[in-house]
Amino acid sequence: MTDTIPSEVASKAPAAPPSVSQIPADKWLKVGPDAGDAEYIAAPSLTYWQDARRRLSRNIPAMLSLAFIVLLLVAAIIGPWFSRYSYFEQDLALSNIPPFFETYEVETGTGETARFFLNSGNFKVYGVGPGGEVEGLLRATKKDLINKQHRYEFGETAVLMDFKSLPARMLDAETGEVIGTSGWSWNATNWFGTDQLGRDLLVRQLYGARISLTVAFVASLVNFFIGVFYGGISGYFGGAVDSVMMRIVEIIATIPLTLYVILMMVVLQNGLLSVVVAIGTVYWVDMARIVRGQILSLKQADYVAAAQTMGASTRRILTRHLLPNTMGPILVTLTMLIPSAIFIESFMSFIGLGVTPPLASWGTLTSEAVETLRAYPYQLFFPAAAISLTMFAFNFLGDGLRDALDPRLRK
Amino acid sequence: MTITAAHTSEPILSVKNLSTSFFSDRGEVKAVRGVSFDVYPGEILGIVGESGSGKSITCMSVLRLLKANGRVLDGSAVFEGKDLTTLPSRQMRALRGNDISMIFQDPMTSLNPTLTVGEQIIETIRAHRQVSRADAAKRAIELFDLVKIPSPSKRLKSYPHEFSGGMRQRVMIAMALSCDPKLLVADEPTTALDVTIQRQVLQLLKELQSRLGMAVILITHDLGVIAEVTDRILVMYGGMVMETGRVADLFESPRHPYTQGLLKSIPDLSSGEHQRLSPIPGSPPDMLHPPAGCPFAPRCTHAMGICTEAVPQLYCAGDTPVLRAGQAARCWLHHADAPEVPEVNAREHEGAA
Amino acid sequence: MIGYIIRRLLMMIVTLFAIITLTFFLMHAVPGGPFTSEKQVLPEIQAALDAKYHLNDPIWLQYFNYLKGIAVLDLGPSFKYPGLTVNEMIVEGLPVTMKTGVLALLCVVALGVPLGIVAALFRNKWPDTLVMVFATIGVAIPSYVVATVTLYIFALRLGWVPTFGLDDWRGFILPVLALSGFWLAFIARLSRSSLLETLNEDYMTTAKAKGLHPMQVLFKHGLRNSLIPIVTVLGPVVANLLTGSFVIEQIFALPGIGRHFVLSITNRDYTTIMGITIFYAAFLMVMIFIVDMIYLALDPRIKLGKASS
Repeated sequence: MTDTIPSEVASKAPAAPPSVSQIPADKWLKVGPDAGDAEYIAAPSLTYWQDARRRLSRNIPAMLSLAFIVLLLVAAIIGPWFSRYSYFEQDLALSNIPPFFETYEVETGTGETARFFLNSGNFKVYGVGPGGEVEGLLRATKKDLINKQHRYEFGETAVLMDFKSLPARMLDAETGEVIGTSGWSWNATNWFGTDQLGRDLLVRQLYGARISLTVAFVASLVNFFIGVFYGGISGYFGGAVDSVMMRIVEIIATIPLTLYVILMMVVLQNGLLSVVVAIGTVYWVDMARIVRGQILSLKQADYVAAAQTMGASTRRILTRHLLPNTMGPILVTLTMLIPSAIFIESFMSFIGLGVTPPLASWGTLTSEAVETLRAYPYQLFFPAAAISLTMFAFNFLGDGLRDALDPRLRK
Repeated sequence: MTITAAHTSEPILSVKNLSTSFFSDRGEVKAVRGVSFDVYPGEILGIVGESGSGKSITCMSVLRLLKANGRVLDGSAVFEGKDLTTLPSRQMRALRGNDISMIFQDPMTSLNPTLTVGEQIIETIRAHRQVSRADAAKRAIELFDLVKIPSPSKRLKSYPHEFSGGMRQRVMIAMALSCDPKLLVADEPTTALDVTIQRQVLQLLKELQSRLGMAVILITHDLGVIAEVTDRILVMYGGMVMETGRVADLFESPRHPYTQGLLKSIPDLSSGEHQRLSPIPGSPPDMLHPPAGCPFAPRCTHAMGICTEAVPQLYCAGDTPVLRAGQAARCWLHHADAPEVPEVNAREHEGAA
Repeated sequence: MIGYIIRRLLMMIVTLFAIITLTFFLMHAVPGGPFTSEKQVLPEIQAALDAKYHLNDPIWLQYFNYLKGIAVLDLGPSFKYPGLTVNEMIVEGLPVTMKTGVLALLCVVALGVPLGIVAALFRNKWPDTLVMVFATIGVAIPSYVVATVTLYIFALRLGWVPTFGLDDWRGFILPVLALSGFWLAFIARLSRSSLLETLNEDYMTTAKAKGLHPMQVLFKHGLRNSLIPIVTVLGPVVANLLTGSFVIEQIFALPGIGRHFVLSITNRDYTTIMGITIFYAAFLMVMIFIVDMIYLALDPRIKLGKASS
């Protein structure tokens, strides 16, 4: 029977055992279970939220996004207080000033140098201070609309602004030669420039952030509460209540919701409150479905049965057991709701259904910039960048949260 | 005692020193650490172990069906003279489903929900045999008959969700048998089924095995299943073989504390008397940081100093008289210098075989 | 199966009815709207409205009249333009909207799905990274920003494409790009995650264990199943392409329905707003119904599951 020994007998263990003589006698003493575990340090057991926080903090794009969002919030809240301007103050003399410009320098004859720049979009000439401050619109001493040349005088020196051919140039009034620029300068007066009514774009941008973020957060919260309430009731009571409520949700889900936000806005008339109401009352369907799904699956969970057996009240089960455990997916949905609310708000503003002027949101700023796109394309930059970056940030944060909170990925 | 025919012939599959690891962002998970075993034609080899013991991964490594982050690091698996670990993928493909086929644990998820079961069998046949669709369909009906699915020609057009769990596992078996495999790997084929259905499926497997004469590797964590159908057992723990031997020997005279613990944790209904079940305390090792010594040492009541430091070799029948022919156990207690622990290495069992 | 289709059709009618009702009563609530007495419109429009809806009748009768009109596909006269009906506006704008919309949908499906597949198959390698970077950008930047920025760069500065109109094929490039951008990115991401999930399914291992060719495993077993979630979002995608066309048609000055709609909003042309909303809703219902039918064909599980209940 010895020939029937299977091959595994001959196999070697990965760690070769020491030979007989090498094993000291004390190693044969019984140590019992768990002895080998002494050196072994188990991964510290973390609660769900601790673990989620740890995962999230390791996600660099998500953390950068969070930092960006916090910065944006701080800027939107306190930024406007530090500005000399208000979002509605107009100065038509200083309209459409760019955030940076090419300056010209000429001798005034008294040993001083005059700095000015030409706004090629509207053929106006503005004085510039030494630090890049916009000192004001300069008046032409002579406007020759036939030759398309305006004459400006700086002390003894005179220059011509020539716009016969585009782009417009500055010429020496005596020689007719083109004057070279003295370099680029940042606009120290209005960092982001001004719009077509001469309003400071930086402060409007900050107010825009206030409006857009307020709409996004408040509307998302309203959606959140409706969704949690609706889904919670539907899931908790189940049965006939559930099927009727879910049938209604099914119908609402097939309605194109953007159309309904538009209709609501038409009915409610423009304004901040209308935007919040219109967006806030429409996008809760997903939230309701997720909450219901969570509640339904958790209702089957053993610990709820345990709580019920021990005589916990309905309210207690709902608030102490069900809701904390449904928070993960709900939080992710909420985070994803915010960028879509920002988008819808700006979309509405863009087609003329939003906050009323002079209030600004990123959407209205973008659509105002589009009106002057040909002459002042840079005005599009800041609102477009702001909204895109914010959308990026919320998307990354939402993805990060989902990864951090998804129990399926947890080991 | 009868000697199974298996042992007198050449093994059909010979696995030597197989090591498989998974590489995750948390590090290397050493799932299989130097496993060796043979499968002989016509025998049923049971591989038993807790989840995470590496029993499924061993077979997935042999069939090269590991997930993307898993890799076979060392060892060989020779099937009919060909080393499967180095076989070109085209030849490997020709073997899978043909000479070696596999049945998986969960028949709910192992069948494609969007294709009819007939289609899923026909495509298997046509992947390996040059036959027309009609002939393949005919063969599929035969197979359904073989696994006792009622009204086979009608059921061929059904989708998996239209079958019950037990019926689906029959479909899986039919699919695995479609090309008359020489080796069938059944990975926990009954775990996901109801208890009554489990028996039926197991009986069917046993019956088909003796009728078709193929070799079977039956992976399970259920010792009841093992006792019922297998010829030989491989007990795995922490990615290693802990004990091996013929079923009767291992059940009668287990020689590894882990095997003993496993046997104590199942109820013995035949004994008739009330007995206390004693589960093995503790939990399986984290294979991300496996213990330096015997993987079972942290849970072993007989653990000695040496056990926590070095992995023992696999002692076999020749090394110590307590082990029966064909039996082998990886335990320091079988070392010549080891103190006597009656249950494991007591000499009074000498010659009991 | 037929039971399920009938059920879906009935559901569609119920939803459409709900939309018409909601729209009608919302418009009724507008101060100065078409159904109130305090409005100030041209006398001929007033006469047309009166003739159509008998504005002095009680509200439920007006509602009934409106429903009657819709039953024969008549959306009534415009509130602002004398002699023009909402039907005429839709018929005029539909070809333009359809052309850009269908092209954008083709872009979304024909580019988004393959990109997602490539990303999934090359998971964590450079093609995946590239696709995901573009997808992340595409999802974050709103369509009107894409539209205005590309309009400025490619039409105004570089002059490669016309700034407005669809007279030549190049005119389609920017509107289709802006319209499809977000959904292209979205579908690419969805296809990627869906295929990755499918590749992890047990039946994929089964297919491999059966010795099938890798291409057969991928296309027959993997792709078909991973397409199911993509098909389910196609309904909402169509809806959003349509609503997206409001701003895109506005920016590129395309004479489609979306532009009519936005104009009617600015002009407070209430009957047109109402008519186009209902038209859109009906159109989308039909699209979602078609998508559901494709879904039905792809996923056999739904047949039993729903038809029997």
